[in-house]
Amino acid sequence: VATAEELEVAEIPEVDLREEGPSRLAQLRDAPHGGLWARGLFGTVLLGGFVVLTLVADDILLLDLQRVFVFAIAAISINLLMGYAGQISLGHQAFFGVGALTSAGLVTEMGLNFWPAVAGAALLGAFSAGILGIVALRLRGLYLALITLAYGFFAENVIFNIRALTRGAAGMPAPRPDGFTSERLFLWLVVGFFVLVQFTDWQLLRSKVGRAILAVRDDETVASSLGVDVTLYKTLAFVLSGAFAGLAGALFAHQTTLVVASDFSFQLALIFVFVAVVGGLGSRAGVFTAAIFFTLFPSFASRYDWFNPEYVPLVGVVLLVLTLIVHPGGIGEALRPVTEWFRGGRFSMHHEGSGTEPGGGLR
Amino acid sequence: MKEAIVLGIVNGAVWGVLAVGLVLVYKGSRVFNFAQGEFATVGAYVAWLTIAGLGWPYPVGVVIAVAAAAAMGFLTERLVVRPLFNAPRVTLLVATAGVAVGAIQLELIIGRPEVRVLEPALSGRGASVFGVLITPQEYIIVLALLLIGGGLAYFFARTRLGLRILAASQDPLAAQLVGISSKRISSILWTSAAALGGIAGLLLAAAPGQALSPGFVTRNALLAAFAAAVLGGMSSVAGAFVGGVVIGISQQVAQFFLFDKGVPSPDVVVLMALLLLVLLVRPQGILGKEV
Repeated sequence: VATAEELEVAEIPEVDLREEGPSRLAQLRDAPHGGLWARGLFGTVLLGGFVVLTLVADDILLLDLQRVFVFAIAAISINLLMGYAGQISLGHQAFFGVGALTSAGLVTEMGLNFWPAVAGAALLGAFSAGILGIVALRLRGLYLALITLAYGFFAENVIFNIRALTRGAAGMPAPRPDGFTSERLFLWLVVGFFVLVQFTDWQLLRSKVGRAILAVRDDETVASSLGVDVTLYKTLAFVLSGAFAGLAGALFAHQTTLVVASDFSFQLALIFVFVAVVGGLGSRAGVFTAAIFFTLFPSFASRYDWFNPEYVPLVGVVLLVLTLIVHPGGIGEALRPVTEWFRGGRFSMHHEGSGTEPGGGLR
Repeated sequence: MKEAIVLGIVNGAVWGVLAVGLVLVYKGSRVFNFAQGEFATVGAYVAWLTIAGLGWPYPVGVVIAVAAAAAMGFLTERLVVRPLFNAPRVTLLVATAGVAVGAIQLELIIGRPEVRVLEPALSGRGASVFGVLITPQEYIIVLALLLIGGGLAYFFARTRLGLRILAASQDPLAAQLVGISSKRISSILWTSAAALGGIAGLLLAAAPGQALSPGFVTRNALLAAFAAAVLGGMSSVAGAFVGGVVIGISQQVAQFFLFDKGVPSPDVVVLMALLLLVLLVRPQGILGKEV
C-alpha cells in the first residue's frame, strides 16, 4: 500500500518546460517510425517538389501560386486571431483592404519604393486592427462577431469609398517591385514573406507572449488571476493579426497590380473565416492546406472546365457546415497523424487532439 | 427634413420587420442569425420569379415568396442549427454566415448579376401627409409593420404557443421539464423568423428606387436590422420595432444633413456610431426586457 506521500509524488509528474536533455536533432534521430531519415526525405520531397513546380510552371500557374501564398499569409493572420486568441473576426477584409490600398497609395501617389510601402501597409493594418481590438476588450462572443462585421462593412462602405484615397472604381495601380517583375521572382518574393510571417507566428507561439495569448483564449479569469495582462495580450493579438493581414493585402495589391476597393467585400471576410475553420483553428498545416485549396480550386475549376466556377463558394459553404458539424478539427485534424509524426512522434490515427470539441475551438 | 423623417420611418419599418426575425431566432437559439438578410432576399427573388418571370398574379407570388422564405428557414434550422444545438454560439453564428454566403451565390447563379425590379403591389401617386407625398408601397410598409407588431404582441401575450415560446426562451430547462419541446419551439421560431424575413424582403424590394441584386438585403439592411434588434435589447419584439424606426430616422436625417458634405454613405456612419454607442454604453438595449 502506497503512503500518501508516494501517491502525491506519483500524481504530479515533474514537467520540464525548458525542454532540456537531448538536442532536437538527436530526438528526431531516435524518433519512432523511420527516425530522422524518413522525416528528412519527406521534407525534402515536399520542398523539392515545390521548387521543381516553380521551375516548370507556366505564368498562369505562377500567378496562382503567388495568390496561394498571399492568401496563406492572410490565413496565418486570421488563425492567429481566431485560433490562438479565440477572438472572431468577420471584418478581416478591412485590414486586408487597408493594407492593399495603403501600399498602392504609397507607391502610386507618394512615389515611395515597394519596401517602405509594404511596411507602411503592415503598420496601418496593425493600427486599424488595434482600434477594433480596443472595442473587442469590452465585447465578446456574438456581440464581438457583430461589431467586427460592422467594422468590415464600415470600411467597405465609408473608408474605401473616399475617392481621394482609393480612386473609386477606376482603381489604384500597384506596380510590381523593381527586380521582381517576372512572375517566378515575384512568387519567390511572396514565398519569402510567407516564410517570414510563418516563422514569426511560430516563434511567437513558443514564447511567453504566445502562451499568454493562449491562456487568455482558454480562460480570461484564470489567465488574469495568474498575472497575465488580458488587456495587453488581447490587443496585441489584434495588432499582430492586423499587421499580417495588412502585409498580405499589400502583396495582393502588387500581385494584381491594380487595386479596386470593391475587391474587399463581406464575402472575402467570410472566405478567410472558411479557410480558418475548414483548415482547423490553431493548426498551421491545416490552415495552410485550406488556403491552397480555397485559392487553387476555383482557379482550376474554371481553367480546366471541371464545372462552373460560380459553384465554388457553394462547395466552400458545404465544407464549412460539414466541418463544423461532423469534423470540428478540420483539415488540421485529418493531417495530424502526419504532422505529429514529422515532429518526432508516432504515426498514429488516434492522437489526443485539441480541436475535437464541437466547433473546433470557436467560442 | 419632413421628407427625411417620413422616409426614415418607412425604412425603419422594414429594418424593424427584419429585426423582429432576428429577435425570434435569438429567443429560440440564443444566436445572431446572419442568414436573416438572405431569407429576405430569397423571398424577394421568388416573388420576382413568379410575378415578373412567370406572370402570375401578385398575391399568389407574394404567398409563394413568403412560403419559400419560410421553407428556407425551416431547412436551415433542420440541417444547420439542430446538429449544432449544443455547440458554442459563435460556431452557430459562423454557420449561419455560411448559409448567407451560399444563398447569395445561388441567387447569383439563378438570377445572374443583372439588376431586377419588383413592381410595387399598388401603383399610383399616393396621398400626402403633412405635405409629404407618400407612395402606396410606403403605406403598405408601415401598415405591415403595424399589423405584424400587433399580431406578435397578441401572440406572445394571449396564445398558449406564444407563452410556451416565451417560457422556453427564458428558461429552456424548466420549460422542458413542464413538457415544452425546445426543438419544436426552435423549428417554429426559425420558420416564422424566415417568413418575416421574406415579408421584409418583399417590402424592401418593391420600395421606390430599390432593385434586386444577389444579396441586396444582406448588404443594404442586415446591419441596420441588427442595430435595431440590439438597440431594442435583442430579445424584445417591441424593442426591435422601436429600434428599427429610431435607426431609420437617424439614418435619413444624417443623409439629409451630410448629403453633399463629401461624407461617403452617411447612413453607414450613423449605423456604426449607434451600434458602438449601444454596445459599449448600454449593451442591454433601451428596452432590455423580454417581451
